[in-house]
Amino acid sequence: MALLDIRNLSVSFETPQGLVKAATQVSLALEYNETLALVGETGCGKSVVVNAIMKLLPANAKVDGRVIYRGRDLLSLDEKEMARIRGQDIAIIFQNPSLALNPVYKISEQVSESMILKKRSSRSRAEEISSQLLQRLGLKGRESSYPFQLSGGMNQRAMIACSVVLGPKIIIADEPTKGLDQSMVGQVLGEIRKAKEVNGASLLLITHDMEVARQISDKVAVMYCGEVMEVGKTEEVLQAPSHPYTQALLDSLPERGFLPIPGPSPSMIDPPEGCRFHPRCPWRRDLCSIERPVQKSTTTGWVRCCR
Amino acid sequence: MLWGKTARYAIAFFLIISLNFAIPRAMPGDTLTNLMGEDVHLSEDAMLELKAKVGVDQPIHIQFLNYWRDLFHLDLGYSYHLHAPVSSLIRERIKWTMLLVAPSIIMGAFVGTLLGALAGWRRKEAKSRLQTTGFLLIYCTPPYFLSMLALYFLGFELGWFPLKGFYQSGTIGDIAHHLFLPVLIMTLFSASRNYMIMRGSVIQERQMLYASYARAKGLSSDQILFRHIFKNAALPIITLVALDFGFIFSGALFIEIVFSMHGMGNLIYDSLLCRDYPVLQGTFAVITIMVILANLLADWTYGLVDPRVRWQR
Amino acid sequence: MAEVIRALRSAEEKIRARWSLLGPLIFSSFILAALLADLISPYDPWKRFNPYQMPGWEHLLGTNDMGHDILSELIFGSRVSLAVGFSAAILSATLGTAVGLFAGYFRGMADEVLMGITDIFLMIPQIPLIIVLAAFLRPSFWLMALLMGLLWWTALARIVRSRTLQVREMGFVAGAKAIGFSDNHVIFSDVLPNTLYVIAPKFMLTVASAMIAEASISFLGLSDPSMKSWGTMISYAFSRGGFINGMWWWYLPPGLCITVFVLSLVMMAGILEERDIEPVKVD
Ligand SMILES: Nc1ncnc2c1ncn2[C@@H]1O[C@H](COP(=O)(O)OP(=O)(O)OP(=O)(O)O)[C@@H](O)[C@H]1O
Ligand SMILES: [Mg+2]
Repeated sequence: MALLDIRNLSVSFETPQGLVKAATQVSLALEYNETLALVGETGCGKSVVVNAIMKLLPANAKVDGRVIYRGRDLLSLDEKEMARIRGQDIAIIFQNPSLALNPVYKISEQVSESMILKKRSSRSRAEEISSQLLQRLGLKGRESSYPFQLSGGMNQRAMIACSVVLGPKIIIADEPTKGLDQSMVGQVLGEIRKAKEVNGASLLLITHDMEVARQISDKVAVMYCGEVMEVGKTEEVLQAPSHPYTQALLDSLPERGFLPIPGPSPSMIDPPEGCRFHPRCPWRRDLCSIERPVQKSTTTGWVRCCR
Repeated sequence: MLWGKTARYAIAFFLIISLNFAIPRAMPGDTLTNLMGEDVHLSEDAMLELKAKVGVDQPIHIQFLNYWRDLFHLDLGYSYHLHAPVSSLIRERIKWTMLLVAPSIIMGAFVGTLLGALAGWRRKEAKSRLQTTGFLLIYCTPPYFLSMLALYFLGFELGWFPLKGFYQSGTIGDIAHHLFLPVLIMTLFSASRNYMIMRGSVIQERQMLYASYARAKGLSSDQILFRHIFKNAALPIITLVALDFGFIFSGALFIEIVFSMHGMGNLIYDSLLCRDYPVLQGTFAVITIMVILANLLADWTYGLVDPRVRWQR
Repeated sequence: MAEVIRALRSAEEKIRARWSLLGPLIFSSFILAALLADLISPYDPWKRFNPYQMPGWEHLLGTNDMGHDILSELIFGSRVSLAVGFSAAILSATLGTAVGLFAGYFRGMADEVLMGITDIFLMIPQIPLIIVLAAFLRPSFWLMALLMGLLWWTALARIVRSRTLQVREMGFVAGAKAIGFSDNHVIFSDVLPNTLYVIAPKFMLTVASAMIAEASISFLGLSDPSMKSWGTMISYAFSRGGFINGMWWWYLPPGLCITVFVLSLVMMAGILEERDIEPVKVD
């Protein structure tokens, strides 16, 4: 039994332009102590999936499916029960640290807040723990700074501290390396990995950087236009991909010669019929535009492709 | 930053008070009359003496300097109708106005920001909508008409409150009884303005990413509102409330008139009837000073409570 | 279940759509009444009947101390009240837009100076100043509108300025400048149209506060006695004993008219303003 089991999760948004089908029947499992990387081009629905797990989507979102955590379906919990799970069991690190931290509180206050409110720690105890944590993350002497006084990378680390301070069992990191320069990427990934190991947690990492996925993850899931196309052990997916989209993603990496994926990104209001990737697929057959492919097993996972 | 602002206030103060100096001299009609008030009848001798005292014979720049010198000595001129120095008239009246304005502005700020924040946070709930409609109605009504309504229904029809606000000689209980209704109206009036601003501010802030992140940290709805959104939404309000001070204070003058209270409002009302210009000008100067002080205070407070401003200095 | 929720939601949207019609509806009926005053008013507002009549069939809203028909006064009074509100708002909107556009477009020194002036104007206690000036001058509604227009442009100037600062960074503005259009041309045909939607709601709110101010200043007896506005009606009811003697029909209608009309303005401003706040995206 996996720690977190996502089954047929679908999310759509009602907008004036029409129904945005941001995620369609997404199924993923996150095992104990595992790191799963969720990759895919921008706008394919990665953030929507993890925000659905955390029940953080705005009111215009419609969510279907099940998200089983320790035998309970998170989607059926009410706001109060969910608040208990957030932060303590499942924590998330947002994409944009400088906007996610509250501008008018010191970072140490923002880290210790969770301890005081959720663990009922005394203020002094909470502050001690939070300053230890911030120091471990390399923010020594910066504990009483405000977010606007820190660089993006520092805020990123402050947010990591905020998110992991309660020792969550699952850490979700939404593009923690986006916008960081190369030297920072390794450092931030190291911090996240450390936080994961200290707590014995599992990590769900969103990225569109395949190199990051290779470095850190045990398993990789590839998303395209709201669907998961392929899941498997990292080595298999990155060495011998089974889905043409995964192949195309790898070919677009700099070291493979920057081959762009042909054709435009699909609309999420009118996604392509049949296989969603078929308009851009080099191996397209007639069937692809008619029938949605079923999941087929691969050596270490599965793929959604008819080939 | 802050010194720049303070300098701006100093310039504003100088210009507005200078405008007050210029008004009676620029207006049509006899300058002496404009300086003393209409319907002041004096003998020829007394007139000459007065002319010298008021200083209309002197060159304008001397008059201007004298005007400022007097102002710094808290001399705002003399009312020939009430036979008293304007400054002591105002000092006598402003106590009563403050008794109405101070509690109302403080309570109005609390009630308005608190209810406004809740209404912006839970704006889809029927209760908040009803509340917003209520405050909107108050917001759209001239404060003196609101006072007339309250006085008519609660005073005349139900007899719960006294019809006049003369409470100079009463006991504390009596003063409170007389003050209750005007303070209530004034509180609602200032609360309605803060309510609207705060509601809009919370509606904007709630869409910020930090609010979403606070939820992700596992905070409850109330904790998100009061620990995270409230401070961010309330900070800009400090300045807005100060800018609104002049308007709210003017509202108080009208409320006083309806309730026949012994404050600055009725002083102005009576001075208008006999065109007692010195009093009118004196009150304008005093109100200007209060408005500028309120804004200065707001900027200083803002600098103290908002870390982004505090650290930029 | 999902259907029920969806049905409820669409019902709610319909109700909301109805509500948002209320503002324009009230607004236009008042405008219409003011325009058609000669046709719909039962009497000449200066014609004298028996004074102090309660509302009845002859006089739907009764008469005042001079025997004037209140309903007719109300209808004709709307002309003055609306005219003051709108002329003050038009003047202040013109001034505010000009200052804001100029400061935001040229920035630098012009911006510094104009915004400094704006800050000073913001400090003026407006109503007390109008009271003082009106006391010296012959009472007139036009003077009132002029003074309000000259004092009330500051808020709009600030809004238009910050919008202009945004707009001037947009591609098409830079493009128009690069092609060599004059600043004048760019301001009036590229920048101004893009600031209109922040001007419109503010304009409504300015009309609203000008009308409240008109009513307040008239209440002090500083208005032209040969004309009637809603504010003067209340003022007379108050100063000539109507209020103290409980003649509600004398001052209630004009007061309610002010509230309701101002409410319609604020509602319309709210609808216009909300348009660009709504959409949200999480990330
Ligand atoms: N609140 C919302 N309302 C309507 N559409 C939304 C909303 N939130 C997200 N979407 C749409 O859902 C789709 C998926 O967005 P999402 O943010 O999950 O992409 P992503 O994979 O995280 O991309 P990125 O790598 O840029 O973060 C996009 O087309 C987006 O426009
Ligand atoms: Mg994303």
